[in-house]
Amino acid sequence: MSIGILTLIVIALAAGGFLLGRQIAVGKVAGDIRKLHSLPGYYGQTVFLFTAVPALLLMLGWLLVQPLLIHERVGAMIAPEDIASGSSASLVMSDVRRIADGLALIEAQGAAIPADAGTVREALGRVGVALGTDVKPSVYAAAKAYGAMSATGGKAMSVAVLVLALAGFGFAIARIRPAFRARNVSETFVRALLIGASSVAILTTLGIVLSLVFETVHFFKVYPFADFFFSLTWNPKFGGGSDLGIWPLIWGTLYISLIALLVAVPVGIFSAIYLAEYASKKVRAVVKPLLEVLAGIPTIVYGLFALITVGPALRDWFAQPLGLGSSSSSVMTAGVVMGIMLIPFVSSLSDDIVNAVPQSLRDGSYGIGATQSETIRQVILPAALPGIVGAVLLAASRAIGETMIVVMGAGAAAKMSLNPFDAMTTVTVKIVSQLTGDTEFNSPETLVAFALGLTLFVFTLGLNILALFIVRKYREQYE
Amino acid sequence: MDHIKLGLSALAIAAISAPAAFARDQIQTAGSSTVLPYATIVAEAFGENFKFPTPVVESGGSGAGRKKLCEGVGENTIDIANSSSRITQADIDTCKSNGVNEIMEVRFGYDGIVFASEIKGPEFAFTPADIYGALASNVAKDGKIVPNTAKTWKDVKAGFPTQNILMFIPGTKHGTREVFDTKVIEAGCKASGAYDLFKAASKGADDKAKEKDAVSACNDLRKDGASVEIDGDYTETLARIAANKDGIGVFGLSFYQNNTDKLRVATVNGITPSVETVAKGEYPVSRPLYFYVKKAHIGVVPGLQEYIDFFVSDDIAGPNGPLAQYGLVPDPELAKTQEMVKNDVAMGPLK
Amino acid sequence: MTAEATNIPAPKRRSLYQLDARTRRRNASETRFRAYGVAAIAFGMIALAVLLWSILGQGLSAFTQTRIAMDVTLDAAVLDKSGKRDPVELAKATTLAYGKILDQALVKQATDKGLMPEGLSAKDAAGILSKEAPAQLRRMVLDNPALIGTTVQIEALANGRIDGLLKGRVTMESAKLDSNVSPAQLVLAQNLKDAGLLAKSFNFDFITAPDASEVRPEAAGLGVAILGSLYMMMIVLVLALPIGVAASIYLEEFAAKNWFTDLIEVNIANLAAVPSIVYGILGLAVFINFAGMPQSSPLVGGLVLTLMTLPTIIIATRASLKAVPPSIKDAALGIGASKTQTVFHHVLPLAMPGIMTGTIIGMAHALGETAPLLLIGMVAFVRDYPAAPPEGFLDPAAALPVQVYNFTRRADPAFLERASGAIIVLLVFLALMNVAAILLRRKFERRW
Repeated sequence: MSIGILTLIVIALAAGGFLLGRQIAVGKVAGDIRKLHSLPGYYGQTVFLFTAVPALLLMLGWLLVQPLLIHERVGAMIAPEDIASGSSASLVMSDVRRIADGLALIEAQGAAIPADAGTVREALGRVGVALGTDVKPSVYAAAKAYGAMSATGGKAMSVAVLVLALAGFGFAIARIRPAFRARNVSETFVRALLIGASSVAILTTLGIVLSLVFETVHFFKVYPFADFFFSLTWNPKFGGGSDLGIWPLIWGTLYISLIALLVAVPVGIFSAIYLAEYASKKVRAVVKPLLEVLAGIPTIVYGLFALITVGPALRDWFAQPLGLGSSSSSVMTAGVVMGIMLIPFVSSLSDDIVNAVPQSLRDGSYGIGATQSETIRQVILPAALPGIVGAVLLAASRAIGETMIVVMGAGAAAKMSLNPFDAMTTVTVKIVSQLTGDTEFNSPETLVAFALGLTLFVFTLGLNILALFIVRKYREQYE
Repeated sequence: MDHIKLGLSALAIAAISAPAAFARDQIQTAGSSTVLPYATIVAEAFGENFKFPTPVVESGGSGAGRKKLCEGVGENTIDIANSSSRITQADIDTCKSNGVNEIMEVRFGYDGIVFASEIKGPEFAFTPADIYGALASNVAKDGKIVPNTAKTWKDVKAGFPTQNILMFIPGTKHGTREVFDTKVIEAGCKASGAYDLFKAASKGADDKAKEKDAVSACNDLRKDGASVEIDGDYTETLARIAANKDGIGVFGLSFYQNNTDKLRVATVNGITPSVETVAKGEYPVSRPLYFYVKKAHIGVVPGLQEYIDFFVSDDIAGPNGPLAQYGLVPDPELAKTQEMVKNDVAMGPLK
Repeated sequence: MTAEATNIPAPKRRSLYQLDARTRRRNASETRFRAYGVAAIAFGMIALAVLLWSILGQGLSAFTQTRIAMDVTLDAAVLDKSGKRDPVELAKATTLAYGKILDQALVKQATDKGLMPEGLSAKDAAGILSKEAPAQLRRMVLDNPALIGTTVQIEALANGRIDGLLKGRVTMESAKLDSNVSPAQLVLAQNLKDAGLLAKSFNFDFITAPDASEVRPEAAGLGVAILGSLYMMMIVLVLALPIGVAASIYLEEFAAKNWFTDLIEVNIANLAAVPSIVYGILGLAVFINFAGMPQSSPLVGGLVLTLMTLPTIIIATRASLKAVPPSIKDAALGIGASKTQTVFHHVLPLAMPGIMTGTIIGMAHALGETAPLLLIGMVAFVRDYPAAPPEGFLDPAAALPVQVYNFTRRADPAFLERASGAIIVLLVFLALMNVAAILLRRKFERRW
């Protein structure tokens, strides 16, 4: 029985349990549901949960353990001399799995399973399973054993899972009494689920930190700590002797993000206000999704737009007349184009939030004679501020993490300068380019990417803690 | 450890309730984006003409490709790493410590590196010394080291047009940059006499240290905007030249050959770059291209042996094959490589 | 006191229709404020229009392709030397053999009809055919060996440069400089076109075919990439939306204000700012190296994108949960609903439009992301279609943004149109997602 079907059966059983549990609960009080502790549906829910959850957990556990056991047993069957020099047991095992799968396929097609190892490759070739070499007898025996054990294991699992599901089903049904606190049971369960979901964020952070820390430590073994954090030059070279100071990159990141936010925040907030407060329903229905399209255009399109259109235009109309340089790739180019991309991040979310400010606040304000704009400025914006700050933070996060627009719009030169028409670059760009380059992997030039990633991580963590502090301090709840 | 991994994989399958095993059928390769076009051409032809699935060709850079190759032996590691530079001892050591003991090194051809500008612009005939004179932060003048003040090409050498110096050179992540540094900048540095001056000025303890100082001084390029580093691909360089008509870009030969209607190529030492001139060794700026095969996977991953035989066969990598048509400079010693691939000879220690 | 009072001038008697200076100022500021809003929206719309115009202008031509109609005699002596029509034997005839047959057929056809321009060699004349054409013919013959020995009429793909001629990308002037095409070849193409044998038609292959190598821009398609993206979006939607909404509900409605909640909160905000490539590093380390999942598979891609999208969805969902007025909750609690009931029956439905917005933005972000896929092997050349799910989640696949990225890196200028065409497809996907969100939003949106 395949896992999919088994899951379906368990879920069907649980669904049936829901209906049955509900009915039994209603039946126990002869239809007078006032005598039940909880609503009848909650009794059904407990049955559902007790049937499905333990059974599915068992299935997961089984799937986790079974391959280990089989692997152990089958691995022992392969003669050590059949593992070619330079190869490894795990490679041979993958061959075993491939053969076992192929045999199952042959069987499914109703053909005869080849008797000895010599003809296996050909037979498998006919059903479309390609093997690299001829099969050795011990490997073939192992493959057959593997297939047999998997099949038995699968059957045993199906039985065990179904038995457990039925047991849970029976247990939950038996527990149904009018005084049974069914709602509390199912709500506790839901709460556990919610906590589980929110801890995914912590696990992700943990994963990121762990995957970065190891190589970062590696990096600091070959490159001095002080140079990385206090040097003001970034100049990697092939074959060593590189300067890998982080500050030019941090400066570029902050500068470009600042310009991007200077474009995106006013445009985004004004769009949001107009859409939420002034625009007719029809205009809103058209404009809002159109603005969201801006967020969906791949960044490479923005990159080309910056490179071909915005860059030369800014150079010819602003930089050169003002005597600020003649570079077509500049902080300004990347910032403006990135700002356009970020508009929907600010506008869409702010729009939803402005829209959610209660109408009574507006009515109150109009009632004492305020104009619409005064109402917005003095009543609605303060009420919506925490949400809007969240939206801006999200936009800022995206600005920091963006690569393609920066590569094409602002160039790849790491520089520290105040001139917005100079080419600069960001931390993210350098992470990508150092990591995917042609330099040797274990050199500081490549490993620096991990150190950059970790530094950026810590850096944004600091900013976010600060932001949390500020938002919490100024958050107000209106009603 | 193995067990945990296996268990987790099973968990992953269970998560999507798929009763599938992990047997991988197709060849997986990764590495240099310079080798990528050639590898895809071969993979496509291989998939068409053999019963094996089409190999998966990843890009991501030579360094990342070799790192993946050296991650270990087994199905979730790649079979072949494409590389635009030779493997280093450090990589071999990593490989060894992860159980990848035998690697086959296959050199299948050369890549020419050319200088090209906007098609309507003036023609250029460079020597490495000219490019050094245009881009280095310090140049030799009348037997002294002076900061480079050249603004136009005419300042570099009489006879060049009065066009602003603007060169798009590959960023330091590109293997192309390494070739550019050694074969153009360092060669130009030596030819212009700056190298000797740097060496004389060096405070290094012995001759070796002095040479090292000199080389690093040679590679010091100016940062006032005359040379712009490109971290993207040749297409980005092309787009930048379209936006800045004065620009001169560094391209791969095959890229230039596909865009001869947009670019005007410059000669180096009087030689026009082409597949023939690079193959003969007349054109100075070129580099070998390699791929590295994990020997333990031969015979296990279906089609791997056939694929590498096919790759270096005359029909593919020979002078009349599709790779040469696309711009690969064929290896004059291809027959030797074919023999080596056929016998699965692992590479010896680096010389 | 009274003296002061009398000092205050009596208010001017004036018609209500005559505005005083203060009212005028307030009204002017009102008009200004409104104009800012209009200007902001106009700015966004103009930017969108410019971007879309440039994409459509470059990409629409990818949806048509030039083909050459010709009669091909499938010579049994060349294609099946054994004469037994045995599939194994037939497979030995490579695309080289088929290529020669096609070349001869084209030259014969052109010569017979007097379309060959002066001075064009047979080899160059055959060069106007795509290198994909022999492969197509071979597939056709292998599928139906009975065709051997007969003459079939086929529509062979033309070379990318010839295609460019019909799309205005290649001209006689550019051909003179171009090393890949000669003016004489263009003349031949023009002659064939005038004879009605060469024409542009709608290109379904662009949507369904797999990617092709650099020498065959005319054959490159998005089939594998669309499937890959679809699979990944399935995984992202199934995992990110429930986890994201559940986490937001917990944090916003249930969590006690303690250090643990703060930790989660800061974490989520910070994860939104982590550069996407770092998620690639995470995916490589955890899913591939540790858990041993296969490289280049939509499963790993989907999981990485899920982790990447989660913070966006959580932040948006929390903002919209926060925006539900406390009165609603109080009312529900007041009539005896439990906390869980209040949240699931009242707060969540009211927050739905915002959740949709957040999910759409997050998914759009995930759909267009390339960098994290770079490290988990999905920025790759994949020609075999992944199988149907769930097995297909483990097969190698590409993704749409990856395909865009790959196309823009290729040397042949014909790939530029393909890249823009791929972006159009990506935008169509996005539009579909948006339409779904709009419909849902319309159902749920309300104002208090």
